[in-house]
Amino acid sequence: MTDAISRRAFAEQLALVAAAPWFLEDLRPQAPRPQAPQQQEPSLLAKSLAEGVRLRYPDRFTPDDLAAITRSIDNRLRQIERLYQTPLTNADEPDFVYAVYRGDD
Amino acid sequence: MAPPPPGDLAFMSVVELGRLLRETKTSATELATYFLERLERIGPRFNAVVTVTRERALAEAAQADREIRAGKWRGPLHGIPYGVKDLIATKGYPTTWGAEPYRQQRFDADATVVERLGAAGAVLVAKLAMVELAGGMGYNQANASFTGPGKTPWNPAYWSGGSSSGPGAAVAAGLVPFAIGSETSGSILTPAAYCGVTGLRPTYGVVSRHGAMALAWTMDKLGPMGRTAEDCALVLAVIAGRDPKDPSSVARGFRMPPMSRRSPFKVGIPKDADKNIQPEVAANFRAALKVVEDRVEVVEDVELPDLPYGAVAGIIIAAEGASAFDDLLKDGRLSQLTAPEDRTGGYPALAIAAPDYLRALRVRRPMQRALDDFLKKFDVLAQPTRTTVASPIDKPFREGWPGITGGANVIGPTNVVGVPGVSVPNGFGVQGLPTGLSFAARAFDEGKLLALAIFYQSRTDWHTRRPPLD
Repeated sequence: MTDAISRRAFAEQLALVAAAPWFLEDLRPQAPRPQAPQQQEPSLLAKSLAEGVRLRYPDRFTPDDLAAITRSIDNRLRQIERLYQTPLTNADEPDFVYAVYRGDD
Repeated sequence: MAPPPPGDLAFMSVVELGRLLRETKTSATELATYFLERLERIGPRFNAVVTVTRERALAEAAQADREIRAGKWRGPLHGIPYGVKDLIATKGYPTTWGAEPYRQQRFDADATVVERLGAAGAVLVAKLAMVELAGGMGYNQANASFTGPGKTPWNPAYWSGGSSSGPGAAVAAGLVPFAIGSETSGSILTPAAYCGVTGLRPTYGVVSRHGAMALAWTMDKLGPMGRTAEDCALVLAVIAGRDPKDPSSVARGFRMPPMSRRSPFKVGIPKDADKNIQPEVAANFRAALKVVEDRVEVVEDVELPDLPYGAVAGIIIAAEGASAFDDLLKDGRLSQLTAPEDRTGGYPALAIAAPDYLRALRVRRPMQRALDDFLKKFDVLAQPTRTTVASPIDKPFREGWPGITGGANVIGPTNVVGVPGVSVPNGFGVQGLPTGLSFAARAFDEGKLLALAIFYQSRTDWHTRRPPLD
């Protein structure tokens, strides 16, 4: 791990909190702290994906709810970007094994 | 010899209580009655208990007494009371998952872990409180359960930790000798540290998850919380092993290795593990290493492989959690959760594309190998369990201890790949709150973790301290 932490990495960590709050302290950035990413405008993709969530449940969310959902999606998109920085080949399978089933004869 | 004063029973280890039972200085019924009374009287102070299982406890205790009198000794847990986090199914009582939408939920069978403890003669006395849905919806404050914020018995103005908040507080307050908690990402080790008890997160698959609430199928682990590492070892030996009802379970089981080890433990200290954390936490960590210095070979400033642990864990937990609770998302009952942030916390995961979730699962495989290659250089990694003592219950976590920006990232990576960890109490910090010392190791190396933890506890008495309850 580097001593400094990138703005993007910090955003990833904050996004992770949405799913696992205790990762925050485990991934706590080193000082100096970066500028809080909440000040960033969510990406167009994040807004579009949040709109998809809204359309799925059109009567469920307040504007504040939607803003929180949009921010969370935006942060998670940055996490996803990081996943693709680890090189994989076509032969790298997910870490589960599907097993065929045959019941009693 | 006369039996011990009743007040001492509350803080005895499983080993000590078992000795009393074997020597007929107490009975399983006396123990059950004693702990039931404490659960009902003291439990509400810490929001630690959901349901006291009085009828079942007395029936199981009576059976244990009959068997013990007849000379049928089932083992070290026979007649010992215990509690389970309320995400573990138990026949005859609600299993609430800490969440309002499931407050009346009942299952018609016991979880495998409860079956195994029952077969060992242990006596279920309580379903213990927890953070709603094990924290899967993104809570950021202590008040995230219909039972209210979990409070540490050491100072009830502060959090017990989560999501196994009830098991941590109940063991610390002497309401149960041991409990079963669960960890997806820190939910055993954190309350163990904040409540000053011992907590063991086994390797993924060592303990069957059958009958336990799923948050993230590929990351959930069940494990014991108790007074001592030795007690945790005894419990793990009972609950570990292959279960046909849980395809992810493994057949290895667990047996404590002999304690006659002569070679020193090789201990890696992650870089920055005690930098920029609360000074008392750092001092207690160094003092703990000093206690065992003649039996350890310390390697300072080791660095974990630089891989996207956080991203992988975040995507997996979010995606699997949204699927596990898709009924709540679909019908809108997330709005019934206690913490406001939990009421919308599941929806963003609906925007995770399936290929991205699968990418996380694919990245995790080389991540497992890289971390195993790293961990095999040491017997254990050691670090402070948390960078601070418990947070105040009346503030968001972020505002609890501002300015603490350091520490090493170990709980996260070790949970993502499913390797074991243990936390033992190692002193006190500000506000009279306990601190924790953690060890992590390669998959299936619980024996090494516990051997070092038992050795540490043989030279310290932090695990015997009692919170000021009266």
